[in-house]
Amino acid sequence: MFSRNAVRKSCASLRFYHSNPIEHVNPLHIKPLAYGKQSPQYKVLSLALQEYVPKHGFTERSIVESLNKLGYPSSMISSIGASNSPSFVHSSTAVMELMKFQLVDKRYRLTEGINPDVTPHYKLPSLEHLLLKRLEMDKPVGEQLTDLMSQLAIPSGFLFETAIPELHRLSDDMIYFSNEKDHHDSAWYAKRLAVSSTYIGSQLFMAQDRSHDFQETFAFAKDKLHRVMRLGEYYNNTEEFAWYTLMSTVNLVKSQLARG
Amino acid sequence: MLSRVSVFRPASRSFSVLSSLMITEPTSTKLAEKSEHAPKSENLSDAQAAFLDRVIRVDQAGELGADYIYAGQYFVLAHKFPHLKPVLKHMWDQEVHHHNTFNNLQLKRRVRPSLLTPFWKVGAFAMGAGTALISPEAAMACTEAVETVIGGHYNGQLRNLANQFDLERTDGTKGPSEEVRSLTSTIQQFRDDELEHLDTAIKHNSYMAIPYTVITKGIKTICRVAIWSAERI
Repeated sequence: MFSRNAVRKSCASLRFYHSNPIEHVNPLHIKPLAYGKQSPQYKVLSLALQEYVPKHGFTERSIVESLNKLGYPSSMISSIGASNSPSFVHSSTAVMELMKFQLVDKRYRLTEGINPDVTPHYKLPSLEHLLLKRLEMDKPVGEQLTDLMSQLAIPSGFLFETAIPELHRLSDDMIYFSNEKDHHDSAWYAKRLAVSSTYIGSQLFMAQDRSHDFQETFAFAKDKLHRVMRLGEYYNNTEEFAWYTLMSTVNLVKSQLARG
Repeated sequence: MLSRVSVFRPASRSFSVLSSLMITEPTSTKLAEKSEHAPKSENLSDAQAAFLDRVIRVDQAGELGADYIYAGQYFVLAHKFPHLKPVLKHMWDQEVHHHNTFNNLQLKRRVRPSLLTPFWKVGAFAMGAGTALISPEAAMACTEAVETVIGGHYNGQLRNLANQFDLERTDGTKGPSEEVRSLTSTIQQFRDDELEHLDTAIKHNSYMAIPYTVITKGIKTICRVAIWSAERI
């Protein structure tokens, strides 16, 4: 299950260089999905996600109902999950595809129409705005979140090839498309981990949240984001002070040496 | 992003090497001049994207290393050997400019920085300061070794960029995209700068360093290992 293959695949699915979208044609596929917006798979899965998942959850039944509604034979369900390898711990490959679709499609829709290459920095949305917007997108499936999260967290190839990479792609997107400052060193990783943990924490909270319109979730998410950012500041201030101390020590030693 | 070669500006160094977590001043963004109807290139293949990913990561790490090597040399030599001060300062300023250019590219093209960045910083400063402590000639031999490896490495990248990026465009023509051409000319310019540093090092008696062979061979090996790991980790 935790074979080298899975590790290699999850490494290969890390995000690569992004060429600018202005000079290049729009990609045919919504990576890492193997199909684009015009394909039948996309239509079936997005209808299932909108209409049937809130009722039946992330199950084969949602996909079958969506297939029936669109006039496809229900046997097509086997081709929907064709890109996933079957796993003992998951019920069916089609459900895995539906969960993957929920993660990937919502991530793309979150940042649709934002292009930091042309938009001035101050006009970009804030990180908090994007985080709340992403949580907002999960409101309709709020009842099913417990099920979704537990299925995503099952230790299996799916966790390492899809669930975790998608989580980090989401936080990478949220930082890139927002006006949040980005970094050249370890802070690049730390900030992404902080955003990922905020998001996953808020999702877990949302799965249990029974307040009206998930108000408590949004308050929780705001607070959590604020707190991880403050933690980063604490660290940065400590480092700044250590650096200052080091520099003044060096200068002190230098001046003493110069005096002879 | 679409501008050809970034303009050289004399670097200004603030007291702190740390950056704040928040943006302190609004950064200016260049608006892309390309119109909606200009012919578009096909998308990069996975292999091409992976190659550019490595190029930007390793070049960023390399320029960071160069920046810190000169910082180490300058720290040790600037006061003891005042005649070397302007020479080192000039080379250091160029490296800071290179480093900033690749930092910007890393953020714009969304490449992750090398995980070993803190290690590169410490290692590069130690290498610069360490060789400078031996003698100014040893520092120059260090520069010579580093710039030889870097020059060859940049040339390898340029060969690949020239051969492998013939993208098809929607109007039927073929050729690298503006983005790839801009990266190519940036690397060309930086390679020339690095080779100029190599000449400077030789002019300042790098071959007089004792022990010359040990220093140059050792540093060349270290650089090759560093390049190999910065590409991957």
